Amino acid sequence: MTTEMDVSSGAGLAASLIDVSKSYKHFTLRNIDFSVERGTVAGLIGPNGAGKSTTMRILMGLVQPDSGSVSALGMRISSSEATAKQEIGYFSDDMRLYKPESIGWHMQFVRSLYPSWDEGYAGQLLERFGLISQQVVKGLSHGQRVKAMLLLILARRPKLLILDEPTNGLDPVAKHEILTELMRVVEDDRRTILYSSHNTQDVEQISDSITFIDRGQVIASSYRDEFLEKWKRIQLHAPEGWKAPGVEGLRLESCHRNLHVLSCSHFHDRVLAELKDSGGAIESVESMTLEEIFVSSVMRGRERSSS
Amino acid sequence: MNLQAIRILFLKDLFLSRRYLFAYFAAGMASVGLACIPNPTLTFVGFLLVVTVAIAAGIHLIGTLLLSETTDQTKLFVMSLPISLLDYSIGKISVVLTTYLIPWASMFACLTIATFVLGKQGNVAVLTAIFFFLLSAFMLQLVTAVVSDSVGWTICVMVGCNVCLNVFLMKLFAIEEIVAVSKSDVLTWPSILLQVIGWELLFILLALVAAFLFQTRKRDVV
Repeated sequence: MTTEMDVSSGAGLAASLIDVSKSYKHFTLRNIDFSVERGTVAGLIGPNGAGKSTTMRILMGLVQPDSGSVSALGMRISSSEATAKQEIGYFSDDMRLYKPESIGWHMQFVRSLYPSWDEGYAGQLLERFGLISQQVVKGLSHGQRVKAMLLLILARRPKLLILDEPTNGLDPVAKHEILTELMRVVEDDRRTILYSSHNTQDVEQISDSITFIDRGQVIASSYRDEFLEKWKRIQLHAPEGWKAPGVEGLRLESCHRNLHVLSCSHFHDRVLAELKDSGGAIESVESMTLEEIFVSSVMRGRERSSS
Repeated sequence: MNLQAIRILFLKDLFLSRRYLFAYFAAGMASVGLACIPNPTLTFVGFLLVVTVAIAAGIHLIGTLLLSETTDQTKLFVMSLPISLLDYSIGKISVVLTTYLIPWASMFACLTIATFVLGKQGNVAVLTAIFFFLLSAFMLQLVTAVVSDSVGWTICVMVGCNVCLNVFLMKLFAIEEIVAVSKSDVLTWPSILLQVIGWELLFILLALVAAFLFQTRKRDVV
């Protein structure tokens, strides 16, 4: 596991989970160490059923962990859940509004619980998202429903936004509108976003740091640029039976005749030297997309746990 | 505990249940009206409808206000707001109880008044025992819903309660003292009936405590 971001210090953190575990009948979240720096956008990427939603629900106090400590905005969630939620906006793809009531009714209801509700901003969001206050939730499309929920969250100006798969199932236009609005939120450097998705492109677009999670475990965590900088795909020609040298982070992805494709999670000039020394002739060194890095990280993690 | 948040949650649910509340109130009043017509068949049908409205209102309000929060996935929305599980539980149980008590108390009060007006005061004591049995059955269903979060289990308990109601009425009217009281023009409270009502009240109180305890001790909200 490569967890390169420092989670040992609580200062400057908007949210942190330390050694958090939670067991269900068929799923276990194991020893999650994960943190989000204030004023940043953190992406949480994982396949379906990896534990992203459980992690976020634990952070919101909706699910109690079996062990470990959880805090958000300097407050321990176990003891200050309601107070912390004054400053946290949570969205989940599983969340629904009251079908028979209108968007305006929901705005009024949420406003009554949040002194920080910004009526002017709510009006702007209604316009930007193309929503009408009198629209009844029952008649909203999926995209409109997501926008309505984000409106209810954003208009209370939360310091921490926890968004669980907000762009799931959206058309490209709706996705663009939502990501644009989130980018606007990020312009205010006092606000923090934790964003989960299995779509790496969305996360890559807005995240400063990224954490990969699979089968209930954090498998890698780093700044986005570090991921993109350190991970490389190397293609080389080598005779049949060639074995990759024991360099940290090097993994053989595929092999066709004498063309070998490797991925490297800690790329350095020394890696190329080692490969040449082992008898390989370097064909190319390419950058990897976040999706490729994610898939490779997941496969490495699974290989480790199966061996 | 955040009283302001509890008040807002309570009013929200009261607003959401306004149509059902009105419907059950109207159905209850119509049933009471029928029960007051001085014709044995209509009186019997009216009383049967009163019991039916009380049972239907109970199971429907529990389903709409409590269980549907989970099935409709609105609970996640509500619990993302700045409230604790205790606030949610107090608000939820209070509103379910209040919405049930409105038609229940209206029917009970109107039937009591009608009994006095029609000069059959003796029936009030029996009515009290029957109405508190209905409230006890509702409380049992509420506890089941809170503990199990399951529509299936709550319906099973409701069916069981309906069977028990028939047995209860059968046993009640097998006691000569109670039959005599129900036919009397004077309101008296036989000790056996007071004992029954006492047990019912104790059961209601215990069920209320159990509902709060189970709800607030849940580790995972969703």
